[in-house]
Amino acid sequence: MNSNRRRRFHLWAMAEVHVIGQIMGATGFSESSLFCKWGVHTGAAWKLLSGVREGQTQVDTPQIGDMAYWSHPIDLHFATKGLQGWPRLHLQVWSQDSFGRCQLEGYGFCHVPSSPGTHQLDCPTWRPLGSWREQLARAFVGGGPQLLHGDAIYSGADRYRLHTAAGGTVHLELGLLLRHFDRYGVEC
Amino acid sequence: MAAASPSVFLLMVNGQVESAQFPEHDDLYCKYCFVYGQDWAPTAGLEEGISQITSKSLDARRALVWNFPIDVTFKSTNPYGWPQIVLSVYGPDVFGNDVVRGYGAVHVPFSPGRHKRTVPMFVPESTSKLQKFTSWFMGRRPEYTDPKVVAQGEGREVTRVRSQGFVTLLFNVVTKDMKKLGYDTGPPDTQGVSGPSPPQGLPT
Repeated sequence: MNSNRRRRFHLWAMAEVHVIGQIMGATGFSESSLFCKWGVHTGAAWKLLSGVREGQTQVDTPQIGDMAYWSHPIDLHFATKGLQGWPRLHLQVWSQDSFGRCQLEGYGFCHVPSSPGTHQLDCPTWRPLGSWREQLARAFVGGGPQLLHGDAIYSGADRYRLHTAAGGTVHLELGLLLRHFDRYGVEC
Repeated sequence: MAAASPSVFLLMVNGQVESAQFPEHDDLYCKYCFVYGQDWAPTAGLEEGISQITSKSLDARRALVWNFPIDVTFKSTNPYGWPQIVLSVYGPDVFGNDVVRGYGAVHVPFSPGRHKRTVPMFVPESTSKLQKFTSWFMGRRPEYTDPKVVAQGEGREVTRVRSQGFVTLLFNVVTKDMKKLGYDTGPPDTQGVSGPSPPQGLPT
């Protein structure tokens, strides 16, 4: 009870953001048993108060249509002192075959929406192409190049080194709840 | 002081579990329950329910309709842990045993107004072909011991599932005192339809 009161006093100075929604599923990938590893990256002014910052969905094999459904819940509570470093959701879509081997199908990122309300998001994905030898090997045996460091997914810094091909699309439904933003004159 | 600033806000949800689309299954019933965080408590209405058993209509639509009412009110101090409705659909298999046909979950919408949500339903998959045959034969399919795990993100990394149907829900949402506490929920979207649309050929 005491720590709650202390925390609320601290929060008086900060604006709060709630991200409540789901990673619904994915379409347009060539494989059908898919799962997604996701994470949220924020700037230094943001503090995660409750919720898990990263996770991995279940592996889904769709029986109807070609959309793989994950319905993975996302519930994050941030407090922030500034607008820089608005949260970015980064995703890695992988496929799993009947032998249990996992193969990368695409990387993607999208910013968490900045206006309150419910939003439908379609996040495009891409995967790194290797040399022609690696592409041939991927077609026959599987595998293929992967990023060594995950931050190239959501940062533009070293992207110029990459040659990529498009993957499918990840569909998300994210709801945004803002608190005390009007106190600071922020319009969104 | 107490009258000036509330510390608790209320969320009232009513609506129905409207219908389902399961092309390969018939004679289904649905159970719903709400999963919410520690800061939430239900103040009125029913947190869970079991619907009637419905069969596909004989006309061309082949529709599965429950029209099962939902009516619950929550109070909370914190939007973290916003309530989710968890659905479990069951039906008989070839031998007459009651087996699970799908689990699904969706957050209750937070902008006031009328919302339609289509929830995809999935079942856990057996780990091996032998287990698949044994579970089909004995009527004991893989199922979750507590359906509430469907509403959580943790621990899902190792599960393999098959999505095989959809359930359509209608919600009317009313909130109280969220604005007074400083929360901005965005524009109320009346008649908002969201969620995946079922592939063509299935009744909407």
